[in-house]
Amino acid sequence: MTRSMKGLVKALALGLAAACSLAAISGATAEELSLKGKRIGVSAIGTDHYWDLMAFRGIQDRVKELGGEVIALDAGRKDQQQIAQLQTLIAQKPDAIIEQLGNLEVLNPWLQKIRDAGIPLFTVDTATPHAINNTTSNNYNIGAEIALQMVADMGGKGNVLVFNGFYSVPVCKIRYDQLKYVLTSFPDVKIVEPELRDVIPNTVQSAYSNVTDMLTKSPEKGSIGAVWACWDVPQIGATQAVEAAGRNEVKTYGIDGSPEVIKMVMDPKSSAGAVAAQQPYEIGKTSVDNAAKYLAGQKVPPFTFVPSVLINKENAAEKGKPFLDAAEKAGVK
Amino acid sequence: MSATVLHTEAGVSDEKQAAAKSAGRRFGALVVRLGAIAAFAAIMAYFVIFAPGFTSTFNLINVVEQSAILGVLAYGMTAVIIGGGSDVTEGGIDLSIAANMGLCAAVYATLLSMGYGDFLSVLAAIAVGMAVGALNALAVVGLGILPLLATLAVLNVAAGMELTLTQNTVVGASSPLLGVLVSGSFLGISALAWALIVFSAIMIVIVHGTSFGLRLYAVGGHPEAARAAGLSVPFYVSFTYVLSGFCAAVASILTVSRLSASTPGSGELLLSVLAAALLGTVFSRRFVPTMGGTLLSVLFIGLLANGFQLLNVSSYWVNGVQGALILLVVAITSFARGSEGSR
Repeated sequence: MTRSMKGLVKALALGLAAACSLAAISGATAEELSLKGKRIGVSAIGTDHYWDLMAFRGIQDRVKELGGEVIALDAGRKDQQQIAQLQTLIAQKPDAIIEQLGNLEVLNPWLQKIRDAGIPLFTVDTATPHAINNTTSNNYNIGAEIALQMVADMGGKGNVLVFNGFYSVPVCKIRYDQLKYVLTSFPDVKIVEPELRDVIPNTVQSAYSNVTDMLTKSPEKGSIGAVWACWDVPQIGATQAVEAAGRNEVKTYGIDGSPEVIKMVMDPKSSAGAVAAQQPYEIGKTSVDNAAKYLAGQKVPPFTFVPSVLINKENAAEKGKPFLDAAEKAGVK
Repeated sequence: MSATVLHTEAGVSDEKQAAAKSAGRRFGALVVRLGAIAAFAAIMAYFVIFAPGFTSTFNLINVVEQSAILGVLAYGMTAVIIGGGSDVTEGGIDLSIAANMGLCAAVYATLLSMGYGDFLSVLAAIAVGMAVGALNALAVVGLGILPLLATLAVLNVAAGMELTLTQNTVVGASSPLLGVLVSGSFLGISALAWALIVFSAIMIVIVHGTSFGLRLYAVGGHPEAARAAGLSVPFYVSFTYVLSGFCAAVASILTVSRLSASTPGSGELLLSVLAAALLGTVFSRRFVPTMGGTLLSVLFIGLLANGFQLLNVSSYWVNGVQGALILLVVAITSFARGSEGSR
């Protein structure tokens, strides 16, 4: 009797130990993350661009995957609306807020209010001191890589048309500053002044007419070597303008990796020189994982970088395909 | 039987028929109007019951705060519609009001960032707003251009000037006045909410409590009669456009305080401003725009967005519902006008 008791206790203890170690192992993996019973507020300035939409979807899908409830708010590119949505969101007291892009100058006082209300704040692609974690691409790398690719393609000299309409957007600031920094080593590469302004909406049309005008102003071949933009929607208009003007010596450079632009870079005849392709859907998901970790009491770093890939004329066929497949899977062209 | 009567006494029965038709229309309009108000009330009741936190004081003050900018703009639009007549195609309308606000905000933020103080910057913003209003007045009253077209042209002028000034960038701004507007509060109500309350009171008193307001309605409702009575129609109509410009300037200061900057894209507000001014007419028995009606519809639009968010309904619905309501109200007003016309 006592013997069997002992045996039972032993077996139980062993079983318990085994269960504990199993739990310890799985606790270390991301699979165990849970947002059950949690409400996560998500605020995006807009979703009219491929990157924005994919990140916004990534966030929502991941929150649902982890069993949480999403309050998803798309401000339709209107600052007023985003501020109103954030204000109401604060009153709703969600367990965490994930904020995606927008004008930092406008947002910062409101992000501060989120923290003042005791709500953990996470951001996607938005570097602000108020966020616990910002999940993004390594924009310092991206900015330098795309600039170096451009300089290399230009043979280290020539004039560049630069779109600089969104310097107030943090990621654009980093990429632009990196471009400038790279160019300090290549004094023969010059930015044409005044710089061009990219706009939202009508980004493509506006970029098309801006670049067409500049090419008309500098009609001799070789007077313009490249067009740079901190994202890739102006690059679409710029590429079309260069091709329409028959100025194939001009190459265009941008960042994000919209499927349309990746296809252009893959096309050997297109003037799209290179694009730094990010993984917005993964970025969105990762920000949710960070929020879930934080809510589970784990430590979270101030920023998380999700890898990006520089797609240029040489590697486009191989490197571009996975991105196009991912876009197709998500049902976005 | 009645057919023969109709034939024999054609003139009399025509009159009778018209009277019956008009009474029917009026009755129909009444039904539709009450229906619209009932729909508003039903939506609110639904929010009160099902949207968590909807009726909390904190939330309601938030909505008033969120409605301040739209409200001030909608008053300007309402004044223009009162003075110019509420015919949607030929009556008074100021399509430039939102773009004008953008321009004033740009002027205000730019001057502040250049180091000019609040006093000068506010003055300049108001001067610019009223100048744009005067330009509208010149085009509509002086040149006799249809308000719809005249103010559409001025919209483009204002938007173009804003772009030229800001290069389509965000212009950050801070000043003592903005500080008060952002964080000030009195009796537990924030400064921005107070701004709407005070501005509403002033507008309601001017338009509904003075003989000036009465004359404004006379000018808009029956310009011929007003002229016969010795009122200067051009003066009153011009005044409404300049007032609308003034409202745009006031709204611009509120907007800069809320966004800590002047940002591109103010023109987006136009649809909501028009919606507020037009929706407000259902709160009046004669389907004329009133300041009180405008206030109610501004708050309704604010509560709509707020309630949807609290219910976790996609924000995409708000635009759709707003559009549907405009359609409904325009339908009702043309219906009511039909009855007035046959009267």
